[in-house]
Amino acid sequence: MSHENENTQSAITRLAAVVMVAVAVLLTGMARAAVPGITASAGGSSTFNLVASQGYISQPDGALIYSWGYGCATSSASFVPYATGAFCPSMQIPGPTLVVTQGVSFTVTLTNNLPTGVGNTSIVFQGATVTATGGTAGLLAQEATPAAAGVVTYTVTYANAGTHAYYSGTQSDLQIEMGLYGAVVVKPSATPTTGANCSAIGSDIAQQLGGGKDDFRLAVAAYNHPEACYDREYLTQWMELDAHIHKQAQTQVQAIATCTTAPCPTALDVKTEPYHPSYFLINGRSMPDNMDPSYAPNYPNQPYNANPHMHPGDFVLVRVIGQGHWQHPFHEHGNHVRILARDGNLILSQNDPLASATNPARLGGRMEFNTDTTPGQAFDGIFYWSGKGLGWDIYGHTNAYADATQPCNPDANGYYTKNSGATAASPNYYEWCADHNHPLEVNPVGHVGGGGPATQFDPLVATNGLWYNGTPYLGPDAVGRNRGPTPLPPSASSMNPFIESGIAFMWHSHNEREITTNDLFPGGMLQMMLVDPPTFWIDETL
Amino acid sequence: MRRSLQVWLPIILVCLAKGIAGAQALGVGGVGIGPTGPGGNRTTAQGGGSFRVQCPTNTPLHPTAISNSAPGTPLTEAAEPAYTGPAVTAETVGGQSLSYTLNGGTVKCQEISGGDGYSTMADGNQIFMFSFGPLSGMDLIKNGQPGTLFAADFNNYYNEPNQPAVSAAPGDTPDPSYDPKRANSLNGAVADPGTIMEIGVLNGNIPAPLMAFDEDDEFFLTLSNVGMIMRPDLFEEHTVHFHGYPNASSYYDGVPDATWAINIGGSATYYYVAPDAGTYFWHCHITPPEHLQMGMVGQLYVRPRQNREPAGTSLYYADAGSAPPGSSGFGTATGPGMQSDLRTACQGTGTAPAAGYTYSTTAGSIDILCSAPIPLPNTATQVAGAKYAYDDGDGSTRYDIDVPIQIHGFDPNFHFVGMTFNPEGFADMKDKYFLLNGRSYPDTISAPLTNPGYAGLSPSAPTQDPTSNAIGTEDSDGLTRYSQPLPTLITLSKTGGLGGAPQRALLRIADLDVTEYQTLASLGIPMQLVGFNAKLLRDQAGNNLYITTSSITLGGGESLDVILDSALVPPGTYFLYTPNLDHLSNDAENFGGLMTEVVVNP
Repeated sequence: MSHENENTQSAITRLAAVVMVAVAVLLTGMARAAVPGITASAGGSSTFNLVASQGYISQPDGALIYSWGYGCATSSASFVPYATGAFCPSMQIPGPTLVVTQGVSFTVTLTNNLPTGVGNTSIVFQGATVTATGGTAGLLAQEATPAAAGVVTYTVTYANAGTHAYYSGTQSDLQIEMGLYGAVVVKPSATPTTGANCSAIGSDIAQQLGGGKDDFRLAVAAYNHPEACYDREYLTQWMELDAHIHKQAQTQVQAIATCTTAPCPTALDVKTEPYHPSYFLINGRSMPDNMDPSYAPNYPNQPYNANPHMHPGDFVLVRVIGQGHWQHPFHEHGNHVRILARDGNLILSQNDPLASATNPARLGGRMEFNTDTTPGQAFDGIFYWSGKGLGWDIYGHTNAYADATQPCNPDANGYYTKNSGATAASPNYYEWCADHNHPLEVNPVGHVGGGGPATQFDPLVATNGLWYNGTPYLGPDAVGRNRGPTPLPPSASSMNPFIESGIAFMWHSHNEREITTNDLFPGGMLQMMLVDPPTFWIDETL
Repeated sequence: MRRSLQVWLPIILVCLAKGIAGAQALGVGGVGIGPTGPGGNRTTAQGGGSFRVQCPTNTPLHPTAISNSAPGTPLTEAAEPAYTGPAVTAETVGGQSLSYTLNGGTVKCQEISGGDGYSTMADGNQIFMFSFGPLSGMDLIKNGQPGTLFAADFNNYYNEPNQPAVSAAPGDTPDPSYDPKRANSLNGAVADPGTIMEIGVLNGNIPAPLMAFDEDDEFFLTLSNVGMIMRPDLFEEHTVHFHGYPNASSYYDGVPDATWAINIGGSATYYYVAPDAGTYFWHCHITPPEHLQMGMVGQLYVRPRQNREPAGTSLYYADAGSAPPGSSGFGTATGPGMQSDLRTACQGTGTAPAAGYTYSTTAGSIDILCSAPIPLPNTATQVAGAKYAYDDGDGSTRYDIDVPIQIHGFDPNFHFVGMTFNPEGFADMKDKYFLLNGRSYPDTISAPLTNPGYAGLSPSAPTQDPTSNAIGTEDSDGLTRYSQPLPTLITLSKTGGLGGAPQRALLRIADLDVTEYQTLASLGIPMQLVGFNAKLLRDQAGNNLYITTSSITLGGGESLDVILDSALVPPGTYFLYTPNLDHLSNDAENFGGLMTEVVVNP
């Protein structure tokens, strides 16, 4: 056995992890997400001008992978929910997220700029009514033939709100694999009758908005249903990638383009089986790249990130689409997800005695800690984290020290909210009051009192994570009183600095092989979710 | 074993020294503020150095300890106090006056080792694992029971003259820490650091030790990292991820990136207030594609407080009751119940939207992630001794037999590469053994002497405990340790239930496979799916959404609850097997794999 072989997997992978995270940290410490996308250009034309073309995407193992993607045909896109730094290249993976309104017809023109030999391409809009002109007839959709003459125009209407997939309907096993897929977010045509409450269900967001902060939601509710209101939203598209297929396509495209000696090949013959993916992408990126900001300049063809942040009690709308060939069991650490709808179809109780003409039936979708992604299928779910029932004060209050006192007056549901006197400045907004002042640790530590049930381990025989704030608690106030403002090593390079002092959870594929990047761990379908303290403003443009 | 001590002794000594330094540092805040003095110190931390076992007999939430008058026999669920609605207690904790809302329950504890071990596949192949092993409830674990103990039993520390092992004659494996002056204790926690190493090294199980406790319990889970003796080049930490714990803390979530992980030579104790009833599971979260594939996966379930309601209680009103805590009339329309304590409630009392929404003034607000919504009104009453999967409020999830089933897969190539000091590749990982509780057919039906199985195949495990049928695997020191304690043979009686009723089995199924989706089908006996991902299948209006089916499909990291009812079929032998037909194999053997039997007796 060679000396090199005695290097362990762990040593290699941990080194890789440190390097990759260090790179990520250089870019930004605290990326967030929202659901960046484009709307039809202003002025009532309601048209998206898309183009399909070739390009490269980058992966954290250093690979540049030849791909095809949808992009914007012109630079005149209107970006939502923010435009700062936003761009829409002529090819991106996933394709541009189209933000439209339920029941309102819109137009998509598709220009086929794919390289010679690829042939036609098209778009299938899942769950929509579509008519098309131009191009040529295809099996699943009207197809755009190569170059400008072959532009196809789709006129699209979604009867249902929610999240929907779009993707190529032409030689789909190859073209979707190569990257021709994207998302449509359909806003509901009306919002629930609970009105003003809908935008701030118990959360502090409305109060913070009152302070002049930006609202990053595309709408206040995912559907016209009072339980579809939300405070934040994140869209993730799950896709595995077999680099051998991409390599074949690249080689054959180049052979066609550079052929000078007849007979020249004229069309691709890419084998898509056996299928053996080794890259596992969320929004076109692998961990840790997916936790860099949306529109980070070093991903010119992968503009969307996956890095959810939230406050306790925020209702977080989780928009998820399975793309590609495989299912992926998406495990949300921290709590369950209530499935609201699949492919834009709300799942409601079929027998609700309280349902009436004015009250829609209550929810019937499952609650899942693993939400399966299924190829071509989208679902919408609601997630929240509140710390309810932990049995100890997540803010480290014990009343044993003058600087550790803080009111927690329960509202009717047991939380400290605006309904029970909390304000946007309350460091424990949305605390579960039944656990307020209940100590965790037997012994006091710093200015967090003792008397609780648990004795902690010796910190010298533990290894700390990069997202660990050094304490069991949430927020810089508690962390400062407990361990002090200096992060525990190795958190000097923290993704979770002292001013944030959030608590982190991993959201990932639980077919764990898929949290690797071509034999490297960590990577693949993995994102870190942070619950941030209420007073920490989550700027989703970062 | 002798060699292992030579390797580890220096490490233990180093850790001891570090432990002392750590103890001195405890309680000193990073801002240089010292504590004003310890609060009410209820710790029962034991042992020396960095191996520390912890199980307080009482806590602020459970100020009354439950003792065991027959220490040789561990307490069971029957010793839990009855649930008759919530009560509020006032206490002085850490010098502060606080109130706690008590729904019953008690303190329970368990101890596990994190290290390595070997197991035996159904084709006779020995396979190397990274694994967890039992360090409490060892006799219970060997017999397929949870190793979770009441504090009184946990703290009756392990004391046996010989190590737990299958093969060697008594005296070959003496335990040097045995104290002949103390009564023997088979199930108590191993608290002595030397004994933790002596027993913990190579005692890995697949599945990892079974855990089960009750709603409202506090659960202290101590993980002692004994290192991987077969991989002395590795410095692997281990953690416990309690998969599915709702509203989890990050601190006890076990994700090494998000929190801490315990190093070799140290112990850490995870602390959980029991979440809502349901079928969860647990696993190490260090390098998951590696540590899960290598075997660090276990089962865990939480029993509902509905089990603890007194006989004759209206299940519906015990659930729907919302009178203030402590008021009278439990089990009636005007009494208290699970809706009285907002922690256990689904239905809020207020109209203010919070974790849920205001549906109407009559419905109040409801937690959108509530575990078990109030059922439709019904007249079901509690039956003495009945067990339920969830706080269903209508008795519909009642069952007789718990059958924890873990679906998993081993890639023998990955394990071999791992055993031979090479970096394993992830991209080519491909399972070749398909496992129910760490065994492939016919080992799944175990009991070769009394039940050769429908197919008449003899399980090929070389060594089994004659009473429990726990499979043993010989390790590199020649000692055969228990490696796979859990057969999945399901035996039901059509007259053996409460009151002579046909028995119902609750299959608590979790899939920990790391590479692909798995389907488990039933031939002949219908499956009723009642729970999914540790939640009752019920819509918010109270309608049960149970599904009768012949197959269920899970991805890695998913769990569900299936009831098999012996009333629905004639006596006979039925099969649970995978219709992923290439998974009916044991590596090169093309018959075996993910299959077991259900025997229905008259």
